[in-house]
Amino acid sequence: MELLEGMNWGLIAPLFIIQLILLIVSLVDLSRIEKTNGPKLLWVFIIIFVNIIGPILYFVIGRRND
Amino acid sequence: MSQWMTLFQKEIIEMWRNFKWIWVPITFILLGVKEPLTSYYLPQIIKSVGGLPEGAVFEIPTPTAGAVLASGLSQYSTIGVLVIVLGTMGIIAGERKSGVAAMILVKPVSYLSYVTSKWAGSLLLVWISLFIGYLSTWYYTGQLFDWVPIGEFFQSFVLYGLWLTLIVTVTVFFSSALLSPGVAGFISLALALAVSILSGALSHLLEWSPSQLTSYAGALLTAGELPDDTLPASLVALVIILIFLLFSVFVFKRKELAS
Repeated sequence: MELLEGMNWGLIAPLFIIQLILLIVSLVDLSRIEKTNGPKLLWVFIIIFVNIIGPILYFVIGRRND
Repeated sequence: MSQWMTLFQKEIIEMWRNFKWIWVPITFILLGVKEPLTSYYLPQIIKSVGGLPEGAVFEIPTPTAGAVLASGLSQYSTIGVLVIVLGTMGIIAGERKSGVAAMILVKPVSYLSYVTSKWAGSLLLVWISLFIGYLSTWYYTGQLFDWVPIGEFFQSFVLYGLWLTLIVTVTVFFSSALLSPGVAGFISLALALAVSILSGALSHLLEWSPSQLTSYAGALLTAGELPDDTLPASLVALVIILIFLLFSVFVFKRKELAS
């Protein structure tokens, strides 16, 4: 708990917020898109459980751009 | 010109539709800001993870603000380049595959404005993302360490932007020359990697190599002054950008007429 007290939340909170935005945007996009590379359900799990990199991976690899 | 603007606006709108305007800047922010945060909290992280024998003392020297900012910036030349290439590789090849390109080019649209509007669109995205991401890295470094002069910030920003512009242009070229987005992305990445490694290894011979721009930007931040070879390297980068852009229009025209 010492670690948590020593942190400057004013700096860290914005990062959590934009990370949350990324998560929500990728889930919204996933729900709208017709087809992804690989099973859709798999991407839901990747986006939710792989921290930070999950949504980015989805946009870079999972999304079909046509 | 108005035709070009229409095509350009179409690009911008399309990037809104597939959320590129949201996820690329956010990725750049997270990539860059991670550096000052982890180097600031490293002692605490090590302490909380534990596993050190009782009484073990080792000093981690506090890095200078310039070094922290430079390491944040260097994220953009590795993972940043990966994100850019994977995001850009389909812009022409993908449209050609799906037939959208043919639909647009049936109308009296010149090949030049078709390719350059796409190029300019992705360039705008890359520059804005780089700016937002790098500005937040600079802000976090200033808050946690020391403020790096804003002049150095802008100079290193432009140098990096130039290198990323080159990456975008090369990717656009391969995207217009090849039908498959995957192959285009792979070749662009391999080329960027090969040039970086080669000019890193032979840095005393290839001072003018555009990929050196990234190390010059780093040198500016850590040492406080620009190496002399920055100007030739930037000029070479500009020339290569122009050549690749012209070639991609040319190749695209030939391919499209042939098919």
